[in-house]
Parts: sequence; C-alpha cells; structure tokens
Amino acid sequence: MKAFFLSLLLFTATAHASQALIEFQNPQQQALFKELTQELRCPKCQNQNIADSNAVVAVDMRNKTRELVQQGQDKDQVLDYMKSRYGDFVHYQPPLNKFTLILWLLPALMAFGLVLVLLLRRRAERSGVVTESAEQATVQPQLEQQLDQLIEQYRRKS
Amino acid sequence: MRKLAFFIPFVLFIGLSVFLFSGLFSDPMERESSVLNKPLPAFTLPDLQQPDNLWTAEKLKGKPYLLNVWGTWCVTCNAELAYLTELREQGVMIIGLYYQQPSDAAFGEVFNLAALQQEVALKLEQQGDPYQWNILDKDRSLIFDLGVTGAPETFLIDAKGMIRYHHIGDINPQVWQQKLAAAYQSLEE
Repeated sequence: MKAFFLSLLLFTATAHASQALIEFQNPQQQALFKELTQELRCPKCQNQNIADSNAVVAVDMRNKTRELVQQGQDKDQVLDYMKSRYGDFVHYQPPLNKFTLILWLLPALMAFGLVLVLLLRRRAERSGVVTESAEQATVQPQLEQQLDQLIEQYRRKS
Repeated sequence: MRKLAFFIPFVLFIGLSVFLFSGLFSDPMERESSVLNKPLPAFTLPDLQQPDNLWTAEKLKGKPYLLNVWGTWCVTCNAELAYLTELREQGVMIIGLYYQQPSDAAFGEVFNLAALQQEVALKLEQQGDPYQWNILDKDRSLIFDLGVTGAPETFLIDAKGMIRYHHIGDINPQVWQQKLAAAYQSLEE
C-alpha cells in the first residue's frame, strides 16, 4: 500500500515537471522571464498575470516572452513589444502620462489636504479657547450673583 | 467656515455615488486598441481552403474591408455568421482570419488541415458564409500582432491597409448601426 502511494507521488512529480520545462542560457534570463510573466497582465482574463492564466492569449504571450528573452532582449524591449500590441493595459505598472498623472498626484494632494485641515483646526481651537475663557470671565460673576439671589429667596421662604 | 465643513461629507458622498453609479454602466473590457490608425502588420499566411495561395498585407490593399477573427470552436462567432452574411449580401467585403486554437500535444492532438477545411466548409454551409475567403493563422502570429485577445474580434481596414476600427465582441445589427456602419461607409466613398 505504501509503495502504491509513493508511486502515485512519483507520478504527480513527473507530470508536473513535464509541464513547464523551459531552458534558458543563464539564470539571469530565467529570472527575467519569471519577472516578466508576473508583471504582464492577461488581456483576456483581467486580474490574472500571464504566468497564472491559461487563456490562449496568455499562453501565446508567455511563449513570445520566452522567445524574446532567449533572443537576449532586455525587460524594456519585451514590455514595449507587448505594449505596442496590447496597450499599456498589459503591464501592471502604469506609465506616467497625462492620463495617469492623477494616480501620483492624488496621494500627495490628500496628504497636503490632511495637513492643512489639521493646521486650520488647531488654529481654530486655540482661538476658540481664548474667546471661551474671555466669555466665561464676564458671564460667570453674573451667573453666580443670580444664583446667590435665588438661594437667598428660597432660604427666606422656608 | 463651520457651515462649509458641514457639507464636506455630503459632497464626498455624492461624488462617490456618482463615480460608482457610472461604473455600473461602463464596460470593463473596453479599452483603446493600440493598433488603431496603424497599417496592418506585415504577414504571409496561407488561404484556408487553398493553402498554396499565400496572402500578404500588400495583396489585401485596394478596397476597404472587415477582417473578422473567428473560429468554428467559438460560439459567439457562429452566432454572428448569419448577420455577417447579411452584410455581405449588402455589399460589405468581409475577410475571415481563422483563429486556430493550439492543439494540445499532451492529448495527442495534431493539427490536421484537411479536417479543419472540412469543418469550416460545413459550418459555413450551415450558418451562412460571409467571407470572401479565409486566411489561416495557425500559430496566431498575425492575431498576436493585431492585439487580439480572443474571438470574435473585427477590424475595419481601409483601402490603404490602415486599421480604422477594432471591435471586440460580436457584430450584431445594433453594433453595426452604432459603431461600424458609418465608419465603413465613409471609407467606401
């Protein structure tokens, strides 16, 4: 029985190995291929990169990436090749241009706005405290006087 | 100032609502094609039914036409065949670019041209034949260069071989009227 399960294990191992056996001339190319297939996005099945997807177009893109990497093209060359066909959409890192500028500006603007709000609030609070205590200074004696009068009134009644 | 600040959450809420509401009606698959207003990429591919006849981008120049990417395996493509045939009868020139699925060698599949020719001929006989001819892109090379993500997709190409429109999805009367008819007619004149 044990031997049977072990042999099963062996079987799955070989089956898996035969699926993705790609040979590269050097480890750098292999690393580049891995990096590219993880950064390139499948145009058919959105939210999957081409390493994860098995859609026909993803398989074709993977093969093309391998081919270009094996030819010795660098990362930018492969990305340009893909983008000229499938658009900026296929790269998970959007380029900086007039349409995407807001992605970079928005966080900065939000941080700036937050600091502005905090500063304004602090200033408002400080000036608010001052006016309040000034108000108290004039109102308090009056109130105390009224209170004294009331206490006096009730004391007489009883 | 205080009163103004009171309205900030309200304004944010309205903004967010409008943004999310418009998202309900947007098509996530829609995006600008990168091959638009570029010439048809260079290629040399065989005719599906007469493989000795090789087509190139140069040979297709001279008349505006629709280049329809399709395959018999693709259900939506089969559904649009009837309407495309109607368009052909109205005088629209349509050339098929056959999208061959990769054959899975692990399952013993090999590419068989004769079987494919028969399958295509039968399909077109049953559903209608909108194509002047079909170009076979066995390795999906031209299909890749055109940025095709799947089938069906249709390109409108002018007489000089420039790509004028790239439509993803099927062509039905509504799509034709709203998107392609005017563009095609302007090219014909």
